[in-house]
Amino acid sequence: MTNPLTLYVPIKQDAKTQETAQGIHDNFVAAVTAGLDASAIVHYARISLIPNASGEGFHAIMLMTEFDGPMNPYLKFFWDNPGTKLAFSAIAAIALTPPNPPVTDLTGFENFINNNNLNDAGDMYAAYPQTVKEIEKAFSTAKAH
Amino acid sequence: MPVSNSQPDRNNVQGMIMRGYTHPWSCHLIFKFATQPGAKGFIKAILPYVQSAADWGDDKPEMMLNIGLTFTGLKVVSKLTTSDLAGFPPTFKQGPASAGSQQSLNDGKSNIDTWVFGQTGKQVDCVVHVYGMDEPALNKLVKIVADAAVAGGLTEYLPIANGTKRLEEYATVPRNSIHFGYLDGIDQPALNWGNPDDPADLSAFLIGYPNNTSQPGPSQGNAGVFAKDGCYNAFRMLYQDVDTFDNFLDTNAKEIAPKLGLSIADATEWMAAKLNGRWRDGSPLELTPDKPNPELSHATAFGYSGDTTGMKCPFSAHNRVANPRDEVLSEPGLPPRLIRRGMAYGQPFNSKTASEDRGLIGLFLCGSLSNQFELLYSWINTTNFSNIFPNQQGQDALIANRSMPGADTSFTIPTSKGPVEIESLPQFVVTRGTAYCLLPSISTLKSIVE
Repeated sequence: MTNPLTLYVPIKQDAKTQETAQGIHDNFVAAVTAGLDASAIVHYARISLIPNASGEGFHAIMLMTEFDGPMNPYLKFFWDNPGTKLAFSAIAAIALTPPNPPVTDLTGFENFINNNNLNDAGDMYAAYPQTVKEIEKAFSTAKAH
Repeated sequence: MPVSNSQPDRNNVQGMIMRGYTHPWSCHLIFKFATQPGAKGFIKAILPYVQSAADWGDDKPEMMLNIGLTFTGLKVVSKLTTSDLAGFPPTFKQGPASAGSQQSLNDGKSNIDTWVFGQTGKQVDCVVHVYGMDEPALNKLVKIVADAAVAGGLTEYLPIANGTKRLEEYATVPRNSIHFGYLDGIDQPALNWGNPDDPADLSAFLIGYPNNTSQPGPSQGNAGVFAKDGCYNAFRMLYQDVDTFDNFLDTNAKEIAPKLGLSIADATEWMAAKLNGRWRDGSPLELTPDKPNPELSHATAFGYSGDTTGMKCPFSAHNRVANPRDEVLSEPGLPPRLIRRGMAYGQPFNSKTASEDRGLIGLFLCGSLSNQFELLYSWINTTNFSNIFPNQQGQDALIANRSMPGADTSFTIPTSKGPVEIESLPQFVVTRGTAYCLLPSISTLKSIVE
């Protein structure tokens, strides 16, 4: 069963934070690809910078994913993977309200994700029931033929 | 508090975490607190009976108990601030009926609404596990606990017989045997010390020590101090539908017996073994695939990686899912382990007792509810954890929740004479209630009542 995560984190407004947010956005795909590939449960992941109402700068950073299975047991794999851990840690570091205590272990990471997740399982439409593994297997088989 | 590398003090750890009790009588009392003074008075009154993990030598206690606190209970009795409490893992804070936990457990809302404890309006704050060497000893300590609860203004949940009876072990069911007739509790984590990469190491279960597998928490701040030397307990009351189970075996044994060249009695046992991964005497299919072997009833030295077709043990047999051993996983790392301290409740099934409640009192101990208990439960409900499994939407043949959206409830048993296909497995096990408890250290319990 596919589930959603929408991580919405308002960020500080100083110039350095805004620059860091842009960097996180620009490097996101490269940073997380290996980790998400290894997990084989994430269908899509994307990151967005939410503009301020004034049109200048960014109010928040938002990470959206759709993944197979339950969220909490699989957060460990993202915490253990250097690329995804770095991406999530970077977002936590620029949060307007930083996690307290700072995220230094898996429990802190689980809390950070849960505290900033806007979605529940019932919020999401899915056009198909297949998992990433099933889709990859089907297409690799088709390719082999 | 930083995590500690020193070995835990057994005198500070509640006994059930580090040892499986052999007391034949037990009762599990479930409470909701009313006030902080009442709750603290209750814990103070029963604290002298708490059994630690220290070796009792030849002086085996006649009666003893262990105490678990849920997050709501902990909020009532602890001195922790709101900020401190926020440091506990979200799975523990939100509880088993939460949307997050239900992504793994998939009990179904209609089922949760019928839980006798642990759902909205039936909040659990504390579970007390009482053990006795005989019935009088058990009853004596249960009375002490019950009297202390009344004095403290606690509400007690009575989960059996329409709210009239406590959840008691049925002592005449053979020890380590469940109502479906299987030998249970055979393989437990070794709980050795000193290997943080081992999912069976004690550090994977006890909070406050480095472990790279389950990574128990909290490990920081006042929450870390409070939780150190504690362990979580996913406490479940699991109804076992023996009538449905027996009918399933009977019906299918008659169909498959001619195909397999077995008597109906042998086909019944064969089917029971294929559902479970072990014969009812405990001997594992991987070591003795054709017939039970009592000499192997407690065998644990085997794996599944050589059985890539499921010819010996079907992929979704309960034991192959709940403890995958050396199975090649699709995720990085080793499969998690659980400490199981369960026992049977309710009278054995027969024509006179058919309508009565019976099942398993499940105590699933872990250092991380999400990374151990819920991860394994998610695999039970969807067997997608190994690429070798041909059906990535399949389910544990014995205990999965069949109503889970998208689940494939079919069951395939490979044999040399062609596969035996079960179109749809029934619901054999139904959850009646769940509470996520912390089994705090003894120093933490003392600090609560100071």
